[in-house]
Parts: sequence; C-alpha cells; structure tokens
Amino acid sequence: MTRALLVLLCLLALSAPALSQAMQYERPVDTAPREKDIGGGYTTPEVQKPLPRGAWLLILDFALLGAALAASVWLTIYKRSRRAVVWLSLFSLVYFGFYREGCVCPVGSLQNVAVALTDPNYRIPILVTATFFLPLIVAALFGRAFCGGVCALGAIQEFVLIKPVRVPRRLDQALGLLKYAYLGAAIWFAIQPAASRDFLVCRFDPFVSIFRRTGFAHMYAIGAAFLIGGMFVGRPYCRYLCPYGGLLSWCARLAPRGVSITPGRELDCGLCNDACPYGAIEKMRADQAGCLYCARCYRSCPVDRKESGLIAIEEIRPA
Amino acid sequence: MSLRATRRATLKGISRAAALLGMSGAAAFLVRKAEGRVVWQIDTARCINSRAGEVGVKVCDLCLKECVVTQSAVRAVNEYSQCGRCNICPAYFNVTSAVSEKGVPSEKLCPRDAISRKPIGEVDPSDPANNFYEYVIDEAKCDGCGKCVMACKEPAGLGSIRLVVRHNLCVNCNSCAISTACPKDALTQLTVPESISASSRPAHSQS
Amino acid sequence: MPYRLAKTFGGKGSGRGQFPSAITGLALGARGRLLVSGGPHVQVFDSETGVPLARWPAGSPALSVAVDSSQRIFTGHEGCIEIHNAAGVLLDTWKSADRLGQVTSIAFAKDSIYAADSRNRLIRRYSPSGQWMNDIGGDNPTRGFVIPNGILTCAVDAPGVLHAANPGKHRIERYSPDGKLLSKAGKFDQLDPAGFPGCCNPTYLALDARGNLYVTEKAPPRVKALNPDGRLISVIATTDLDPLAKNCPIVVDARGRVFVADPVRLVIHVYEPTSTEKAL
Repeated sequence: MTRALLVLLCLLALSAPALSQAMQYERPVDTAPREKDIGGGYTTPEVQKPLPRGAWLLILDFALLGAALAASVWLTIYKRSRRAVVWLSLFSLVYFGFYREGCVCPVGSLQNVAVALTDPNYRIPILVTATFFLPLIVAALFGRAFCGGVCALGAIQEFVLIKPVRVPRRLDQALGLLKYAYLGAAIWFAIQPAASRDFLVCRFDPFVSIFRRTGFAHMYAIGAAFLIGGMFVGRPYCRYLCPYGGLLSWCARLAPRGVSITPGRELDCGLCNDACPYGAIEKMRADQAGCLYCARCYRSCPVDRKESGLIAIEEIRPA
Repeated sequence: MSLRATRRATLKGISRAAALLGMSGAAAFLVRKAEGRVVWQIDTARCINSRAGEVGVKVCDLCLKECVVTQSAVRAVNEYSQCGRCNICPAYFNVTSAVSEKGVPSEKLCPRDAISRKPIGEVDPSDPANNFYEYVIDEAKCDGCGKCVMACKEPAGLGSIRLVVRHNLCVNCNSCAISTACPKDALTQLTVPESISASSRPAHSQS
Repeated sequence: MPYRLAKTFGGKGSGRGQFPSAITGLALGARGRLLVSGGPHVQVFDSETGVPLARWPAGSPALSVAVDSSQRIFTGHEGCIEIHNAAGVLLDTWKSADRLGQVTSIAFAKDSIYAADSRNRLIRRYSPSGQWMNDIGGDNPTRGFVIPNGILTCAVDAPGVLHAANPGKHRIERYSPDGKLLSKAGKFDQLDPAGFPGCCNPTYLALDARGNLYVTEKAPPRVKALNPDGRLISVIATTDLDPLAKNCPIVVDARGRVFVADPVRLVIHVYEPTSTEKAL
C-alpha cells in the first residue's frame, strides 16, 4: 500500500556516476566477446548511468522556495494583495506540485529530520535540512507564509474552495488538535530502528498521487475526499492534519509580524471575519497560529480597498 | 502599552529567540553530519529476474507496477561488456515465435519495442548467423517490466541485462513502493558518502 | 523414446567416484573405462557398472579429457595439455599460454591432435609430437567460434573430418585438417526439436563410429542424436538433467550407449538405445 510515498528526498539524490555500480553483480563473465574478437573497429558503448537531478537544479529548487516565501510575505502583509497571492499559489502549485511532483516538500522532511537527529547512521543532505527549517524560521518572524502562496498541498486546496462554511469554533479547535497527534505519530514511527521505521506522512500524503498523475486507488480516494471536503471546509488537510502545519503554527505564535487587522484603522465592520474561511480571525484580530496567509481578509477590507482606489467610501447621511 | 502587554511581548521575544536558537542548533547539527546521501538500488543478485540459480519462474514486473513514477524509474540496462552479442538473443526475440525465412524468430520479446539490434564488426551480409550483434535498450521506451532481464539470465543467456534504478528518474521516496512490494527485498537503500560540494563537480562524460 | 536411462552414478562429494564441484569432460578408454574430468581429480569408472576404479589429482582443474589410440589420457587445462598413461602417470605437458588458453575439448585424428581453445575461440591443430600446425575456425567475420556458453567442443569422425559445435551460429561445422570449412548443419528453432534452441546451442558434441552426432543443449537441457547430415534421429533425454545444467559433456561408446554428465547435480547418466533403436 505504500505507494504513497514520498518524497522530499529528491533533494537527496545527487550522486556520482560510480553510484550505479556501487553494488556489484558478482558474476565472472569471460565468455562475452571483446572488442578484438568483434573487430571491424567496434568499440563497446558506454553503459548509460544517468545522474540524479543536477546539483544546481536542486539549489534552484531551494532558491525558488526561498523566493516564494519572500514573495508570500511581501505580497500578503505588505502589498495586501489577494490577487497576487493567488498567482503565487498558482505558480507554486504548478512548479512544486505538478512539475516537481511534490518533491520540494518540507512537510514530509520533518520525518527525515527526526530520523537524522536521532539515528547516528542516518544523514540528510544540507538542502533537506535547509528546506525543512527555512519555512519554520520565516514562520517565527512573519507567520505561516509558507502555507499561503508556497505550499503546493495548500494551493491545491485553496483553488477548490468555492463555498466555505464556518466550522463551529469548538469543533474547529478540537479537530485542530489532530495534527499534533499526527505529528507525534509521524515522529514516533520515523524514529524507530531502521528495520521497523515507517514514514506515515508519506504513506498518507493526500495529494502526491494527483501531482504525479499516478498512484493507487486509495491514494486518489484520500486526495479526492480532501478536495471535495475542501470545497466547503477551507483547507481541511492544512488545518486539521498537516503535521508540519502544527510546527508552523507553534512558530507563528512567536512571530512579531504577520497578517494583522490593524487597530486604529479598522471600521469594526467584521467583513474580514466573514471573509476568513479558516476561522483565523477571532474578536476582530488575526490568530497567527491559524492564519494561512491567503489575504482574503485584506481583499474584503473596505479600508484597504479604499486605499487601493478600488472603492470610495461615502458617508450616508440621513436624508 | 499596559504592563501586562509589555510582559507578554517580552516573553514572546524570549521564546522566539529560544526557538530560533534551537532550530539553528539542530540545523547546524544536521549540516555537520550531512555527508552522505541515500539512494535506492536494486541488488541484481537478489532480483528474481536476474538472480542465477533459478529458472522457470515467472517474470516479476513489480518494478513496473509499483513505482510511483509514471513510467517506472527502474529500467533494464544492458551491460555491454558482458553481452554475448548473440545472433539469436532471447531477450530481443520472442524465441518461441515461429522462425521467419531469415532464420530468426518472427516476433520480438519487448512489448514496447525498446531494444534495437544491429550487426557489428566485420559484417557478413549474406549470412546473419555469421555476425555479432549489439543490443541497445532505449531507456526512454523501457518501463522496467523485466521480461528481457529474465530471458537473458543464466543459463539461457549471459545475464548482461539487469534492472537498474535510474537515479535521474527516481524521486527517492522515503518508503520506496517497489521495495515494499519486492518479494526478494532486492531494493536497498545505499548511503553514498558524498557531500554536496563534491557532487557539484561537473559530471563525467555521460551518453 | 528410443533411449532409456540405464544408470546414473557419481554425485556431489569428495569421496571416490564423487565430484566436489564440476564435471567438465567425459572420454572412453579401452576395456570399458570411462574417464571423467572435473574438480581436483581425473577419475576412472567402469562404464558398465559405474564403479569407480581409479583417480589421480590433476595439476590444475581439468577442463576436458580424451583418450588416444594408444590409451594415453590427454587432459585440457588452462594454458596446457597434460598427458598421462593409463595408470595415471604423467608423461608429458604441452604448455602454451597463447594457444592453449582454455582447452575445453581434445580430439584425435590419424596424424593430428585437435585442441579446442575456448578462450581464443579457435581449434588448434597439433602434430602427435605436440608441434602446433595450424588454427581452425578463425577465418570468418566473427574471428572464431561464437561461444557465449563458454566452451568449445570438437570431435573427429572415422574419415578424419573435424566436427565442431558453433553454438552462437546454431550449427555444427565440419572442417578439413587445414581449416577449410567443408559444410555446416543445423539452424535455430526453439519449437522444433530438429533445430537448436536459445541463444547458443549445441554445447557439447560426440561422434559414434558410423558418424552419427550426439549433442547436448542448454536452457532447457536436452540430449539429441543426429545422423551424419545433422538430421534429428531422436531426442535422448530432456527431463533427467538439472534445468540449470548448461554445458553437459557427452560421449558415446561402441555399443551406442550415451554417457551424459550433469554438471549441476554432478552425476553421469547412461542412456541405452532400446531395441527399436538398434533396429534403426
């Protein structure tokens, strides 16, 4: 069943040409004709041993991750442009999702980091370490910018959300605890001895088979269920299950900056509260731990729209 | 700002500093020991399609079926230096098909026609049996079904064709689906001692 | 089936009459003595009973064995041919790293001795005194016999024509002593037992006094009798040999009994023609 998989370790895969031969098939073959037996100027062709994705491409992937994070922060909390965030999400969905097939993915990497921290024999490449920590550091400074325009798993859900319903706050909070349980389980299974190790997050990654256009029925079924549910409940995987989301929300709580409903500038109209499909605005204030950086609140905000010249506010005087 | 708010902000700042410090420490620890990378590799001596000492077993096509990459990252590779260059290659021809007027089987074995055959050396055009032949597997067509591998193995052939994980195609899943399914545990993870700086050398000449 | 399995002897082991690792050659001597090479010894059996009679250590693993008309025993090795008398006393060693790369078959004509060198894919013709005279089988586009199976075998018929298996070309070739290709017989066919199947067959061959050919094949193993023109007389055995058996030495005695070695199970099977076959 583990067709599921996962990933991340694509980053891993730089290697020398000798690699493919590292495991030798020991069999004496002296009966195959040599070049001098064959004659006619024949030369034995070199056996193809293709290299993994080139190092500079992997560095490009990481650079794009960093650039996308920076763009997410800039476009959301400085430009406050929902439209730009949508475009950024589309880029991330296409590049990190469909083109790289879910492979620049900090979500699954948390398991590899957990293993590498506990198993002296397990090593991960520097780029995997960097890919794992960069979004967390950004979250500790600016909030969950990764979840907004960068994460392909989030983006695919973002685009199916057509009719958000509000999840009762108690239920929302209770379901939100699931991701911590999942995080704990993912780490627990990952740090087992090598023979019994399991990578739960990979195994149950809901969207990777969609990104790869291949996979097994049950994987598609899980993905489809999240996408259908996600038409009405905003980003259910991100809010209730994503174990990396759990880490990000811890970091985001500490962030000095982030999406904010600015005191003093607001109209107390509550439009942002209605616009947030993720239940991340509470008492007219953004909850950094739950904010997924979608910028819908800014789009709905009459003050922002007025400042952008999109609308004019007129005072309605009683006749 | 109220005293309480100030205290809260201070606490948050301290926590943030601690978190960032902790993450930097963990990252530094991982970077210091990051000198190997892990890749998947098929042990030819275990793979049922190539392991010697077993004949009459069914071809295993799990590498084709299980791999999460659309056209499996496992491909058949002909190790030319060990290839017998036979006239009648049981991996190229379906040897059980009717013999054509040219004296060779009328059908090919590969369902995707991924193997090409050409006479090499001092070619005798009048008698095809008088020549050596080179068999090249088109990696773009191969999907790792293993048929040619099984047909080439001892004692029928020299076993020059094996299934190989193509590192340029493999996405290096944490739990390789093929390894989970493989009845012979032929897929193993290999830690290759190599640093990123070492791997960014220009590649050797690759075809 | 016109042949029946009359006896099987040998087996894996280090005792007398057993083979620890390999059987590489069979030959018949006077008084029904069957000589077997392979592993650390050359062994002598009574071909009627399968009882081991004698053995002596080989200097290096023997790759083939043959007995000449004066009952001298020739064994082929890597880089040399050793000659023993019937009692196993070493008489002579012909050494040549170049010409006797791996001697997997030895055959005798009236005035020549043929040594098949599988490393160089050629048959070397020597004088009875051990003088190299000429090579056979190299004058073609493949510069020698095509033997992906790794062994090269030959035999000489009563008129002195050299027969050699060319498994990669799926045929048996006949050569004059000076190396001229006289004729060839056989073609690839996996389905028809009259043809040679797989990548490279036949592997070993033997001749009887009437010029009939006896051949072994691999993948799957099979033993066949062919008439002097190379036409199939009968399939002698298919199921007795280990499916992994690749190169099965074969020899036939004056009574038409066929001795076939199974190099995997390390046994020797003896097939007798049934009465119907004798009528043939």
